[in-house]
Amino acid sequence: MRKVTRKMWAILLSGTMVFTVSACSNQKDVPNENLAGNEKEHKKFVNLFGPMEKSDPDADNTARTAHEQTVRMAEEELGVYMEYRTYTAEDYQDKTYDDVTLDRARNNMDDLYLLNPDTIQALGREGRLADLSGLDIAKNLREVVRTANTVDGKLVAIPQEVVAYGLFVNKDMFDKYKLKLPNTPEEFLECCKTFKEKGIETPIGANRWWLECFVLAQGYADMYNGGDTEEEVAALNSGEAKLSDYMRPGFEFLKELMDQGYIDAEKAYVSEAIEGEKEDFLGQKTPIVMAYWGAANTDTAYGDPDFDMQVIGFPSHRGQMPIISMSGYGVVPEAENYDDAMEVLDIMLSDEALQEYSQVNQVISPSKNVEVDCIDALKPLNDRINENIYVLGSNASMNVEQWGNICIIVRELLNGSSVDECMAQFDKLQEESLDK
Amino acid sequence: MNKSKKKGRKFQGVSFIILVMIVFCILGGVVFSIARRISAEMSESAVNNLGESLNLIQGTVEVILKKEAEFQKLMAEEIAIMDEPEEFIHSYNRDGTIIMLSMVWAGETEGFSNTGESFSAEELDFSLGRTVDGLPVSESYLNSLGTWAYTMKCPVVRDGEEIATLYVEYIYDSFDKPLPNKFYNGSATIYMMDAQSERFVLKPKGIGEREAGHINLDDFYRANRILEPDIQEQIDSGIKAGENVMFYHDIQDKESLIYMWAVNDGAVYLIGYVPIEAIQQEGRAVNQNILVVVIIMLVAFISCCGLYFFNGRQQAKIRAEREREREIHNKQLAEALQTAQIASQSKTTFLSNMSHDIRTPMNAILGFTTLLTKDADNPAKVREYTKKITSSGQHLLSLINDVLDVSKIESGKVVLTMGEFNLNDMVSSVDAIIRPSAKAKGQNFEVVVTGIKHERLLGDETRINQILINLLSNAVKYTQEGGNIYFRMIGLKQRTSQFERIQIEVEDNGYGMTPEYLEVLFDAFTRAENSTTNKVQGTGLGMAITKNIVELMGGTIDVLSQVDRGTLFTVELELRIPDGQVDEQFWKKNGVSQILAVDDDEDICKNIQMLMEDTGVLVDTALSGEEAVRMVQEVSKQEKYYDVILLDWQMPGMNGMETAKRIRAIVPDHIPIFFLTAYDWDDIEDEAVHAGIDGFLAKPFFVSAFREKYLEVRAGHSQTASSLDEAEEHALEGRHFLVAEDNEINAEILEELLDVEGATCEIAENGKLATERFSRAARGEFDAILMDVQMPVMNGYDATKAIRAMEREDADTIPIIAMTANAFAEDVKDAMDAGMTAHIAKPVDMKLLKKTIHLYL
Repeated sequence: MRKVTRKMWAILLSGTMVFTVSACSNQKDVPNENLAGNEKEHKKFVNLFGPMEKSDPDADNTARTAHEQTVRMAEEELGVYMEYRTYTAEDYQDKTYDDVTLDRARNNMDDLYLLNPDTIQALGREGRLADLSGLDIAKNLREVVRTANTVDGKLVAIPQEVVAYGLFVNKDMFDKYKLKLPNTPEEFLECCKTFKEKGIETPIGANRWWLECFVLAQGYADMYNGGDTEEEVAALNSGEAKLSDYMRPGFEFLKELMDQGYIDAEKAYVSEAIEGEKEDFLGQKTPIVMAYWGAANTDTAYGDPDFDMQVIGFPSHRGQMPIISMSGYGVVPEAENYDDAMEVLDIMLSDEALQEYSQVNQVISPSKNVEVDCIDALKPLNDRINENIYVLGSNASMNVEQWGNICIIVRELLNGSSVDECMAQFDKLQEESLDK
Repeated sequence: MNKSKKKGRKFQGVSFIILVMIVFCILGGVVFSIARRISAEMSESAVNNLGESLNLIQGTVEVILKKEAEFQKLMAEEIAIMDEPEEFIHSYNRDGTIIMLSMVWAGETEGFSNTGESFSAEELDFSLGRTVDGLPVSESYLNSLGTWAYTMKCPVVRDGEEIATLYVEYIYDSFDKPLPNKFYNGSATIYMMDAQSERFVLKPKGIGEREAGHINLDDFYRANRILEPDIQEQIDSGIKAGENVMFYHDIQDKESLIYMWAVNDGAVYLIGYVPIEAIQQEGRAVNQNILVVVIIMLVAFISCCGLYFFNGRQQAKIRAEREREREIHNKQLAEALQTAQIASQSKTTFLSNMSHDIRTPMNAILGFTTLLTKDADNPAKVREYTKKITSSGQHLLSLINDVLDVSKIESGKVVLTMGEFNLNDMVSSVDAIIRPSAKAKGQNFEVVVTGIKHERLLGDETRINQILINLLSNAVKYTQEGGNIYFRMIGLKQRTSQFERIQIEVEDNGYGMTPEYLEVLFDAFTRAENSTTNKVQGTGLGMAITKNIVELMGGTIDVLSQVDRGTLFTVELELRIPDGQVDEQFWKKNGVSQILAVDDDEDICKNIQMLMEDTGVLVDTALSGEEAVRMVQEVSKQEKYYDVILLDWQMPGMNGMETAKRIRAIVPDHIPIFFLTAYDWDDIEDEAVHAGIDGFLAKPFFVSAFREKYLEVRAGHSQTASSLDEAEEHALEGRHFLVAEDNEINAEILEELLDVEGATCEIAENGKLATERFSRAARGEFDAILMDVQMPVMNGYDATKAIRAMEREDADTIPIIAMTANAFAEDVKDAMDAGMTAHIAKPVDMKLLKKTIHLYL
C-alpha cells in the first residue's frame, strides 16, 4: 500500500515538473490571420429623450428600476439599444425640460420622447406626434387615459402609469391637534389656521410645480364630476365660457394661503419638486405637502416616514379631489428610427411590461387589464379614483393647454402678481387659442 | 528520560517550523517587493497611458475646432467678395456641425441667419475672450434644437474694411463621432464640459448606464462621491487655470483615475473617469498570476506544515498506542502475577489447611491407636477408641474424596452417570443423613416438596445427592444451634414435556456470608475466614465442587446471603422424564380408585392431587378434620368408601388423631388410614395405632412412598423387612473368599474383618496369582472373589477378564467384587466393563460388603 502511494506521488511530482518546465518555454504560437477588427457595428439604436439617465435595471432605485426593466424587455426582444438623451434644468432660470423637449421634438432630434401633459398637447396640435392607435395597448387603455391624450382625434401619447396627485398629510399631527382631514377649501383653511396657531410656521410645504393642483381641483371639480365635460370643454374652446372664471376660485384660495403665511411663496417660487419641502415634512415640521402617487412608494421621496402618512385629494366643494395627470411616451413621425421606436413602445407598453412596472412601483396602470394593490397610505386617494372622482390635470381636447399654463401663471402669483393679473393672463391665453 | 525525549522532539518540530517560516517569509518578501514594483510601474504606466489617450483626444478636438475656425474664415472671405451675401446665408442648410449661419452688418445690432429669422448677437457671451485660431468663441448655450452649442464669430473684411461679422453656431454633438466610441472598452466615461458654466455639454453615445444624471461638475462630484473639499478645490483651481487635472479616487467601489483634461486652453474640458483595472488589464493578469503563485506557495507551505504535523501526530499516536499496549501488557502481566500469587497463596493456605485438617483426624487415629495398644485389655476403652478412630478415619476419607473430586473437576474428567432415580428415595436419603445432624444441633429442619409432577427422573443421582448434602451439611454446619433450615424442592413450569424443571432451595438463618466472601464462594481452595467458621472443619472445596456439578448438569446455582441473617442457595436443574412413568395398573389392580387427602395446607392437598393425577386415582381433598369426617359420611351414605384416607396429624380444630378416630368409626377396618407427618412419629405411634391409623407417611408426599406404604399395610410387609435385615446381617457367615490384594496390611485388615464376621479368605498377592488360584480351585470352593484393582503383575480388571474367560462352569457366575481405592463413577463403570459383579470402594465398609454379598449370594 505504501509503495503504491509513493509511486503515485512520484508520478504526480514528475508530471508537475514537466508541466512547469514546458510552461517556462518562450515559444509562442504566432497566428497568421489579420487581427484588425474591420467588423462594423450593426446594432440598432433608438434615441429616447427624457429627464433621467439610463440606469441599471437591477438598481435599488425602485422608480427607475421599473422603467428600466421595461426598456430591457424591449432591448432583449428587439435587439435594439436604447440610447438616452437627457436634460435637466440646473435651476429655475434655466430652460425647462419642457422647453428643451419642444425644441428637440420640433427638430426631430430624437425618436422617442417622454412628454409632460403640456408638451403632449402642444406637439399634438402641431402634428409633431405620431398616432399611436395602432399599438396593442391602445385597445386596453383606460378611458381617462385616452381622453387626456387624444388630440384632434389622434392618440398621441401613452403613459406607463397614471399619475395621481394628492395631498400628503401627517395624520399624527392632525390627530395631535384634533383636526379632521379637510374635504373643502374652508376646512383646509381652518386646519392651516389651527396649525399656524399651534406654532407650525408653514403648514404647507410647496414647490414651484404642483400648487396648480389646488386650482385645478376647485376649478374643474364640477366639470369632471357631474357636469357635461364635453359641452363645457367645447364652451371653453369656443370662448363661450371664460377660462378665468374656472381658475379664479383656486387662485384666490392660493392667494389666501400665501397671504396667511400658510405657504412660503418666495421659497416655493425657487424650489424644485420634493427637494424643497421633503426635509420639513419628514422632520414633522410641515404637516402638508403635495406630491404624486409614486412618491408614497419611494424611499427617496416619502416612502418611509416615521409617522402615519395619508394621501388624500385636494380640497374642493365636492370633497377631496385627486388630480390625474400623466407623462406619456410619444414618437415623432419624422424620427430617424421611427419603426424601431414604435416597436419599442409596443413592448414597453404591453400588458406584461405594464404589469411588471405597476407591480414594482405600485401605481395605477393605464391598461384596464392590469390591477395592483396599493399601500395603506394611498387608500384614501385610491378609493376616490375607484369611485371615478377625479380632475384631469391636462386635457388634450382643450385648446388652452392646462397643466403647463396654470403652473406658469401660479408661479407669477408666487412672484407677486395679483389674482386679477393672473386671470388676465388666462383671458389672453384663451383669446390667443381662439385666434388659432 | 521520556520527558527529555519528548522535549527534544518538540524542539525539533519548532525549529523546523521556524526554518520553513523564515524561508517562506523571505520568499513572501521577495514576491511582495516584486509585486509592489510591478504595481508602481503599472500605476505610472496607467497614468501615462491615460494621459496619452486624453492628449490624443484633446488634439483631435482642437484640430476640429481649428478646422471649424479655418472653414469659417474661408466662408467670411468668400462672403466678403460676394455681391449678395444674404442669399448665400439664406441658402445654407444646417448640417451635423453647423446649425446656424448668421451675419450682422457692421454698425447694426440685428442681422439675419439661415433659419430666416432675424439674428441678434446680444444673447451670445464672448466676454471670456476664448478664441480658436484667433476667432472668438462664445459661451456654451442651449440652442433652438435643445442641444448644447457654441458660436464663433469672424469678421467679414472687404478691402481691408470690416463690413460685417459672420456668426456660425456649432453643436457639441458633432464631437460625438471623433470621441472614442467605447473608451477603455466601455468601462470609462468621457464627457465634454464647458469650463465657464461647468455644464456637461456632450454626453457621447454608448456611455452606458449611470447612477445619476451628470448635469454639471457639482452633479459629477455628487454622483461619483467626490466629496473631499481639498480635491474639489484642487480641481476648481486647475480648471480656472486651464490646467489638466488627474487623480486617484474610488468610483463605485473601484479604484479609478479621475481626469479633467483641458481643451482649447481650458475653454472646454474632457472630463470623466477610468477604473484602474480597465487600464491595467495585463497588470491585473500579472497580479493575479503573482497571487496564484503566492496562494500556491501558501498552500504548499500549509501542506508541508500539515504533513509534518500529521506525520508527527501519527508517530506520536503510534508511540502512544505502543505505550498503551505495553501498559496493558504490563497490567495483564501484573494481574496474571497477582492471580498466580493469589492462586499460589490459596493453594498454600489450602495446603496449610489441609495439613491441619488431615493432621487433626490423623492425630486422633494415631493417638487412639497408641491408647488402644495401652488399653488393649479394657474392652470398653477399646470400643470407645475404635469408634473414635472410625469417626476420624471417615472424616479423613471425606477430606480425601473432596480433594480428589476437585482435582478431577479441575482437570475436566468428571463424567455424569445418568440413570433413573426416584425423588422420594433421594429426599428420604438426604433427610436421613441431614436430619440427625440437625437434630443434634437442635435445629429445625423442614423439607417441602411442591409442584413436582414426576418422581422418577433421569439423572446422576449420586451427584445430585452430593449437591444436596453439600448444601444442607453446610447449612447445618454454618447455622447456630436452634436455627432453622429449610429444604425446598419446587417444580417449576416445564419448558418442554420431556423435562421436569426443579428448583432446589436450601435456606438457613445461620451465620451468613460477607459480600466479599460471596464473590469467592465458588472458587476452589477458599474457606470463610472468621472466628466462627474457624471452628468448623472442611476442605473449602465443597462449594466449588457443587457449582461445577450443577453447571455440568446444565443448571444454575445462586446464593443470597447476609451476615447474621442467613443464606439462601437456589439451584435450578432440568431433568429428563423417563418413559413409562405411569403406574396406573398398580392402583387399578389393587382396587384403589378414590382416596381422600386431608390437610389444612391447601398446597399440600393440591400437590397430592397433582402427583396422583397420572395414576388414574381420584383424589378428594378436605382442609379440616370436620370436613373430612363429613365427606367420609357423605360417601358412606352411598355405601361406598374412600379406598385410602391420608390424614395430616396436626390440624387446627379437629386434630388428626381425633379425625382418625371418627373416620375409623365410619369406615371398615380394611380401609387404610395413613398419617402424613413431617415429624418423628415414634412418640405418637401407639396412640395412632389405637386411633385406627394403619401407618405413617413422611412429608413430603411421594407416590412411590405411598405405594410402598400401601403395599406394606396390605401385605403386612414390615415383618418381611425385618427378616431381610437379619439375613443381610449374617450374609458373611461361613463364606470363603478369594482375596486379591497386594498390600499386606490391607489384606490383613480384610482377613481380620472377615474373620470377625465369621468368614474366611485366601489372599493372592496379585491378579495373576488370584487367577491361577481360582483356576486350581474346586467348584464352589470360593463363594466370591474380592478383587483389588491396582496390583503389580496383573491388575484387577485383567484378572477378572482372565477369570471370566476361563472354561469353567462357574467362571461366568462367581461374583467378583471390586474392592478398590479407585472410587469414582468411571471406576465403577470400568469394573463392570471388565466383567466384575459389584464395586465397593476402599476403605471397606463392612455393612456395604454384607449388603452386596447378600444381594449376589
